[in-house]
Amino acid sequence: MTAETGAKVEDGPLIFPTETPHSLTEHICATTLHEGEDGWTPLWWWLGLGFALSLLGMGVISVAWLFYAGLGIWGIDWPVAWGFDILNYVWWIAIASGGTFISALFFVLRAPWRTSLNRLAESLTLCAALCAAIFPILHLGRPRFFYWLFPYPNTMGLWAQFRSPLVWDFFAILAYVLCSIVFWYFGVLPDLAILRDRAQRRWQQVFYGVLALGFRGSGRQWRHYQPVYGVMAALMAPLVVSVHSIVGMDFAGGATPGWHSTQFPPFFVFGAALSGFAIVLLAVIPLRPAMGLQPYITPRHINILGCLLLTSSLCVAYAYVMDVFSTYYGPDPADRVMFAFRLHGLYAPIYWGTIMLNIVFPQLLWWRAIRLKQPVVWLICLGVLIGMWLERFQIIVTSLARTQLPSAWGQYTPTVWEWSLLCGSIGLFLTTFLLLLRFMPMLAIAEMRSMLGNRP
Amino acid sequence: MIVAAFATESALHEAVAELRRDRACRVETYGAAPPPGMVTSSIVPLLMLGGGMVGAMGGFGMQVYATTLAYPQNIGGRPDLSWPSYIPASFELAVMGAILAGIIGYFMTVRLPRLYDPVDEAESMQGVMTGGHVAVVQGTDNAAVLDTLARHGALRIEEIEP
Repeated sequence: MTAETGAKVEDGPLIFPTETPHSLTEHICATTLHEGEDGWTPLWWWLGLGFALSLLGMGVISVAWLFYAGLGIWGIDWPVAWGFDILNYVWWIAIASGGTFISALFFVLRAPWRTSLNRLAESLTLCAALCAAIFPILHLGRPRFFYWLFPYPNTMGLWAQFRSPLVWDFFAILAYVLCSIVFWYFGVLPDLAILRDRAQRRWQQVFYGVLALGFRGSGRQWRHYQPVYGVMAALMAPLVVSVHSIVGMDFAGGATPGWHSTQFPPFFVFGAALSGFAIVLLAVIPLRPAMGLQPYITPRHINILGCLLLTSSLCVAYAYVMDVFSTYYGPDPADRVMFAFRLHGLYAPIYWGTIMLNIVFPQLLWWRAIRLKQPVVWLICLGVLIGMWLERFQIIVTSLARTQLPSAWGQYTPTVWEWSLLCGSIGLFLTTFLLLLRFMPMLAIAEMRSMLGNRP
Repeated sequence: MIVAAFATESALHEAVAELRRDRACRVETYGAAPPPGMVTSSIVPLLMLGGGMVGAMGGFGMQVYATTLAYPQNIGGRPDLSWPSYIPASFELAVMGAILAGIIGYFMTVRLPRLYDPVDEAESMQGVMTGGHVAVVQGTDNAAVLDTLARHGALRIEEIEP
């Protein structure tokens, strides 16, 4: 198989020539409906679910203690009043972007390779967006009043402060989570109908039948389906850019050294693209053999995602260089003091770790041979995700630890409750993703059937 | 109501084209993928435009009302009507309005949810989404319709009560 050995992978097939619409439908339905040998729930899934649930349990305990005891259990204090809460939120929302970039942006660009990846990528988006959405609520001093963020007429005569990026962020997250769910559901609707028609067990017929809402593939349903999906994709692409721009403005709006920069919105979009492509590769590489997806997700897909990861790493590198340039070219000595602390202060290993993991190691992807060595690509992606977490740490913590007044300098050490909350969010992500993996089709069957056309 | 299953997509569409051309009847096709060459005109994108405009104008109006009438406050010396600050939230609400209008408009246009439909009684409809090619014809001249379907090689023809 030339594609597996790497020869001419750019011209390789997007779907193996042996695959037909029938074999595709059979394979994905058998996996999702747990039929026959292909659909046997594998041991790795149970082990993964057990691991995910144990992490999730840790998170539940952490949240319960947080609600009981309050924010004092965390390491945040003055001047570092934002810690793991905002760090994890920004990290997860960036991870969530990958699915939307692949599914919406490349749909608008008519890239045929995205069809094999979009469902998997969108599912990752959903799970990551869910993890991101919980942190802004948890970081409120009184989380029970989270609904005060909603602009609603109230007897207190109180409205949100609409001039603040933090309020824009509330709208951005609300819109992003809601629209991602709708876009995912609208995309999966025909596949739910396929599963309903293919299911043998009664509970599956009812479960998928109710979710499919009576979609029967009539000409009328298809005629309206495609334009609506196209317009949704065209809206989701700018939405994801706006969401990450607003997350960047959360920081740029503050007069804190290292934050108050006009480059933050694009910088955060670049970072989001980098983490988004990394999580998709991180999931796709082991799932190909584990779920028998090699005929549909080929080395050509890995190669393309590797190129995208490299491109977004270069964009992030540009933002890092501009960060240094604007600090030393700009007039503010506080910026330079903070940046010197970032380069060789207490948290310097985090800054240099960020550079190595996000910029230096991804440069290996210039070589096609490396892009096709899937274990190496997987390790680079894991490094990128850790690197992006470190990047958020150095942006948030080092800036707050070295503000304009030396009398207000401080440091931040996370407590066990913050670490357990991070583990809990990873558990929530893995649990929801594993459940989607098991009960929802991980390839867009209807879209791929159209792509396969009239293959016998 | 006559339900006919065909072996191939091309046979289905040839039969449907003839029925639509020659007979005074309503014909609907069913299949697992969009028919090739289908005209994808829809009113729903217009509804999405409307939803987006409602989201944008509603969001912008709400912010104007809140900051100028309901709760005017001097924040950093900025005017009460700081309209550039209202754009990000208005944009987010516009996209949310459009996407919600899209899914609601789609369901209304194609009349979903519809968990039961009389066509489900036909055996040909069992598993249509896994690769079937089915035509459903509603009209008066059943004999002529049956003849047309048979000439185009329908595998199974069923008559069911509408």
